[in-house]
Order: sequence, then structure tokens, then C-alpha cells
Amino acid sequence: MAKFLEYVPGNSILHRLNPSVKLVCAVLFAIACFVCSNLVFLLIMLALALTLALSSGFGRETAGLCKAVFAFSLILALVILLTTPNGVELIALPWGYIGTGSLLAACTVVVRLMAAAIPLFLVFYATKMTDITNSAVKQLHVPYKYAFTFTSTVHFIPVFMNDMSAIMEAQTARGVEFDTSNIIKKIRLMVPLCVPLLVSSVRKTNSAAIAAEVRGFNLRTRKSGYKDYPIGLLDGMALGVCVLIVVAAFVVSLMA
Amino acid sequence: MIQFNNFSFKYREGIEPVLYNVSLTIPDATFVGITGAAGSGKSTLTYAINGIIPHCYPGDFYGEVFVEGLDTVESTLTDISMLVGSVCQDIDSQMVSTVVEDEILYGLENFGVARSEIPARVDEALDAMGIADLRERSIDSLSGGQKQKVALASVIALHPRVLVLDEPTAELDPASSLAVFELLARYAHEHGTTVVVVEQKIALLSDYADMLVIVDDGHIRFADSPENVLAHSDELLALGVNCPRSTTLMNELSKRGCYSGPAVRNVAQATEALMEVLA
Repeated sequence: MAKFLEYVPGNSILHRLNPSVKLVCAVLFAIACFVCSNLVFLLIMLALALTLALSSGFGRETAGLCKAVFAFSLILALVILLTTPNGVELIALPWGYIGTGSLLAACTVVVRLMAAAIPLFLVFYATKMTDITNSAVKQLHVPYKYAFTFTSTVHFIPVFMNDMSAIMEAQTARGVEFDTSNIIKKIRLMVPLCVPLLVSSVRKTNSAAIAAEVRGFNLRTRKSGYKDYPIGLLDGMALGVCVLIVVAAFVVSLMA
Repeated sequence: MIQFNNFSFKYREGIEPVLYNVSLTIPDATFVGITGAAGSGKSTLTYAINGIIPHCYPGDFYGEVFVEGLDTVESTLTDISMLVGSVCQDIDSQMVSTVVEDEILYGLENFGVARSEIPARVDEALDAMGIADLRERSIDSLSGGQKQKVALASVIALHPRVLVLDEPTAELDPASSLAVFELLARYAHEHGTTVVVVEQKIALLSDYADMLVIVDDGHIRFADSPENVLAHSDELLALGVNCPRSTTLMNELSKRGCYSGPAVRNVAQATEALMEVLA
């Protein structure tokens, strides 16, 4: 299984799409998920996203991602469940109630977040980071500095995750018990680790900035990229499908 | 040529200067090894060559540093980068791409190398470092030694006149360290490149360098051929630099009047010298 957001080589349709088109399509897909609140529509979107992931050979990566997004969205779902009294009352609360509407809203949030996140993450698994940067600069006319900053941020996420693991391992070796089941205690143990992580992060980003500068970062222009990213029929079709999905989302939303 | 004229430097946040009154001349196409105890100012010396000082790390800069006639203070970091290729100590932070080929392309694209020339440059750099088979590999999946070679390939693809490397074998095992030095020496010899390497493993430096520079507490104590520097093994030991055992042995024999030749660099030279003594 690939590391978090690490490119996985392959020859699926997703791999072959133009990087900019992939990004735009993923954003359109996410927009469609946020425009429409119809649970059935969102479930279809989730099914589409999962089909795309499986057909591209990212089943395991997507399962891991779904797990993480599910855990995060459950927090939001819980908040919605407890603060949005709607529909037929199911459980009475001192400040209101949990109703069928609350349940539906909570489920909608979970499905929406998962459906919206999957294509965005798939873009990173199916595209080299450099291709995303260069294509965004060449075709979407994003200034190189911003594109580089974005891709560097994504590039450094696994690096910082490794650093955090190393710091935690070092602390574990000194007797700190991170495997406690008490979340509050775990958070209290982890907070002091933010300082060494921050120090190491700043040092690494500074080194990376210097390394980029001594290799001509400031000379980079829109035309600097060596590779070309032509837009083909497949890209046009993918864009067309995504535009149709957005239109469908608006229509379903208006009908509701 | 690299020329230091009475160069001193103090980091902005530092209390004392890191380097004092350094005067040093490094001729073209020389393989220079810089060594010394930790915190002696070795890395700062290389930062002065590649322009990181004063352009990235500001501070009090005294004297002059010229690289191929370019004043490193007056020139921009980009101008200096066109002449000097640098490989930093932290290899993981240096990588800007996720795939080996893209990492090598990065500098070539930035410096505007002609499109027609780029494929040949990439092939040449990969071949020179012996990593042609890693071309499509993800950088995260590489070992420390392979990453080091990728970092070197990405820099030599730019055809720098000067190559500056800060502890390139810090995370490598002895065999990989030797391989990196072998590749570096061969590349420098074939292309007439000046190589400046900061390295703790003096045995490697004494084998490959044309010139050894010993830095101690901000001062250059020795800057000469390895034979001339290694002849002072007792002084070097006092400065925290441990000479190869073969060198120390021959120097000891020399002191006792059993050997009168130059200091030896390695076991092979020591063997030859001993055979002459015993013959």
C-alpha cells in the first residue's frame, strides 16, 4: 500500500488523464457533492467515486482514506445529531431532541465528505506531484510560487508524519505510554511533542527552500517545464461528465 | 578558482564569528576535502562558496569570496548557482520531486537548458551516478545511498563548474560511501570540475582529495596536499581529526627514523612503503 498521498505508478484511465483536467474534475466532483444535499444523489456520487478508485487499482488506499474521513466526519455528524432537532422525534434531549431529520442530516454529512474527498485524494495517488505543479502552471496559469508551495506542502505531509512517529518512538523508548486508551491523556502526552516537531519542520522547510533556490527556483517561468500536458479526447470526456454531474447536482438541489 | 581573502563570518544570531580571517585559494579542477571537529566552521566555509552565506543566512561578512571570478556578495544566489552545484547535508529536505527523473529535471528546467539537450543531460547524469535503473522510482522508496546519488545526479546534470557537498556520506555505510566518492572523483576528473567536500571520514578524503583543508575553531589550520597534511598526525589528533591508522603508523616509524618517505594516504601506500623499508 502506498504511503499517504504518495504517487502510485500505473496505466489506468485516471493515470492517463491530463493532471489539470484531473484536478478540475475532482474539484467539480466535490462542488457537486456540496451543492446537493439529497442523500440518494450523494450515495450515487460515493458509489461513483468508489468505482473510480477500484477501477484505478486504489482499493486499499481508498479504504484507508475512507476510514480516516469517516472518523473525522463522525465528529461533525455527532454535532449535527445533537444540535439539529428535525423530523420525527426519536430520542429526547434536555435541549431538544434527535429526530429522523437529524439522523438524515448526519448521514448526509458523512456520505458527502467521503464522496467529495475520494476523487481529490485519487488525483494525488494517480499523478506525480511535479506533473500537478507543472500542469497547473502551464495550463491553469497558476503562478509557479503558489503551485510549488502547494505541492511542497503536500510533499512534506508524509515527511512530517515520519518525524512525528520518530519523536513518538523516542518518547516511547523513554517510557511514555502513547498506547493508552484514554484520549485526553494521549492528547496531553502528544501536545509537548509539537515543539520538537515544529522545530524540525521549520528546519526542513528552510533547507528545502535553500535547496530549491540553489537550483534556480527564482528563474522558473511558466514556460520552464520540460514536459507537455496535451488535452485529449479522454480529458474532454472526463470534463464533460463532471460538468454534467454538477448540473445534475444543481437540478436535484433545485427540485428538492 | 575559488578565492577567500581574509574572510570572516558571524551569523546574525551568533555571539562569536564562526570563521576568522580565512585566506584560501582553491585552484580549478581540484578535489578538496574539508574536515575538522564538529562546530569548527566546515559547513559555513562551503556556504560561503555556494552563496548561501550571506544570501540565505545573513550575518556579519568580512573580507571577500570569489568563485570563478564572481564576488559572492555582489552576485545573486541564482548567478552563483549557475556556477556552483550544491548538495546539502539533509538529503530528504533537498528533494523537491517525488520521482527520480523529475528531481533531475527540476534544475534543468529552472536554468532554462534547451529542450533538445535535456534528455541527454538526464541520461548522462543518471549514468554517471550509476542509477539509470532508478529513473522511474519514487524517491521515498530509495535507500539513503540511492537518494545521495539522486541528489548528486540532479546537481551534476546542471554541469556546474564547482560542486559543493556537505557530508555526502553522513548516512551511508562504508561501501556506499566509497561508491559515492569513486563516482565523484571519476566525474570530477572527466569534466574538470572543482569538488569541495565536507567529510568526517578522513580516510576517504585522504584517498580521493588533491587538497585537504583542516578547520579548527573557525581557523584554517592546514590547507595542503593530503601527504603534507597527514604528516602532522599528532597535531591533527589534537584538533579532533583522526588520521588513518596506516598513516599514523608510518608517521610513528618516520619519527623513530625507520622511514623517511612522505606520509602515506592509505593501507596500500603503507604496504608499499613498509616493503621498501623491509627490503
